[in-house]
Amino acid sequence: MNFTLDNIDGRLVGTARLEGRLDAQNSKPFQKTFLEWLEKTPLLVFDCTLLDFIDTSGLGAIVGCLRKALENKGDLKLAGLNDKVGMVFEITKAKRLFSIFANQADAASSFASELNPGTT
Amino acid sequence: MKTILAFRESEYAWVHEKFPCVHPLLLPLCNKPFIEFLIDFAILAGSSAVRILCDGGLGEVERYCEDGSRWGIDLSYASIHPDDSIHAMLGKNRKFCGEERVMIVSGFSFIRYDKRYDYKSFASSMPPGEWSTCPGGRITLTGVPTKAVPDWLIADLSLMPLDSMTSYYQASMETLKTGESRYVLPGYGDEPECAFGRNVVISKSVEIRKPVSIGNNVQLLGNAIIGPSAIIGSNVIIDRESSVESSIVFDNTYIGEHLEIIGRIASGNRLNDPKSGASIAMEDPHLLSGIKKNRHLRSLPRKIVHACVALVMIAAFFIPFIILWPLLKLGGHWKSSPASFLSERTDETMPLAKVEVDASGAAAAIAVALSLDRYFRLFWVVTGQLALIGSTPLLAGESRPDAPAYVPAYLPGVFSYAEAEEWAATGGDATIVERFHLAHSNPLTDIGLVIKAFINRFQEKSTI
Repeated sequence: MNFTLDNIDGRLVGTARLEGRLDAQNSKPFQKTFLEWLEKTPLLVFDCTLLDFIDTSGLGAIVGCLRKALENKGDLKLAGLNDKVGMVFEITKAKRLFSIFANQADAASSFASELNPGTT
Repeated sequence: MKTILAFRESEYAWVHEKFPCVHPLLLPLCNKPFIEFLIDFAILAGSSAVRILCDGGLGEVERYCEDGSRWGIDLSYASIHPDDSIHAMLGKNRKFCGEERVMIVSGFSFIRYDKRYDYKSFASSMPPGEWSTCPGGRITLTGVPTKAVPDWLIADLSLMPLDSMTSYYQASMETLKTGESRYVLPGYGDEPECAFGRNVVISKSVEIRKPVSIGNNVQLLGNAIIGPSAIIGSNVIIDRESSVESSIVFDNTYIGEHLEIIGRIASGNRLNDPKSGASIAMEDPHLLSGIKKNRHLRSLPRKIVHACVALVMIAAFFIPFIILWPLLKLGGHWKSSPASFLSERTDETMPLAKVEVDASGAAAAIAVALSLDRYFRLFWVVTGQLALIGSTPLLAGESRPDAPAYVPAYLPGVFSYAEAEEWAATGGDATIVERFHLAHSNPLTDIGLVIKAFINRFQEKSTI
């Protein structure tokens, strides 16, 4: 997992690139790492392009991350869910909780358009 | 007339990959095996004998279809070479074909027919040659017509290739929507587009939206929404608050709580997207899982482990039991009456004492906390007639929806899985918890659950 910070129209947006599996084995350390990211910015994007597998523990961890981001007056958006990971979000209805984008760029720029609703 | 149904493994290889638990020719379309649709059509076309030819194994198909007597036809089986032409197939099956007209249905494709049409007159009057074709499939007639073509004859017929999960999904949904009007489909129902199998337990709050087809031994739990366009196989559990729409759920599948299955094919613990072809195996059994059928194969190690733990418990509680039991009995706090309970085998019963301990005194409270009221039942575990942990034993003679005659999983135990999970020992929720653990637990997890059940009872100090 790597984490980058981008300045998008004056807003600091953090992007975490999730890779491989997010399951019961690594969901707790993942949540700890998320707190470090959250200290840098509450506006976050999880780029899931390289995320191959997620189970309910991983899903719970991501929902927990969203909750923490919202508590910090920020948001967490998801990008690049593949069909398999998307199916888990879909059947558990977790898809309704998140803003999901096709790619990281769209997700990151959506923070800017929220700031300036007239722009796309 | 006679019919030859010919298949090549290469045509249905995708089924092996996507649905390994089912033989491709038995792939269910609207809860009816694919091969049955072809047999039905052969009968509609006037066939008295059908031969299934395949270059792959047919054992499972033979066991299912047997000799065809259930359809009133002669059904036989033979092998072919992958490269055999129709001419070669006819040559190799000369004896079967005889002098009669033969219809050859080749390829793994679905026949869209309509049972209201007169295919018999059509098949006997058409000139030899191709009747219908599609990529990878065709229906061919050989031999001389036995009738002249009547002027009025119309026979709606087309072929749909089943070459992917997408086409399979389309064929299933199409069959569900056209339903009984075109095909002979399984299930019963007072309303059109709504077919139910046997022993379907539907909680009051379940919503059914037509069209649906539901198999046998299905449990639909509270607030589940089924349909529209849902095909639920046999021995399926749809847990509370879950919805299944425009989807197919294969036999022996458990759909967990609060899930939303839309436009998917769920098979055991595997969830498939028919549009993209994506497939994911769920690792969390509470989400989606297969319901195992071979419980009897696993029962021996379970019985051994249970018997060993029961022996330990008998030894550990011997002294408290031998002190407290006569004391409580003399004081009138221990009341037992003989009762007959259903055993694991649905047609047998077992005499187990119903024990009631009035836990008003200290001695009685200790006895209940230590589960001494179930001490005698531990000996039944040693003999293998009762599990240490399993289903709540059911009184014989009671007609209940959770009785073993109605549900496929029942294993009476000294302690119940519902007690381990702190569910109320009666009611639909407890039954579903017990069925879940019967399907998913193993002898080792059973030990942990026995300890949990024991601790729960210890804390409750309940009176039984």
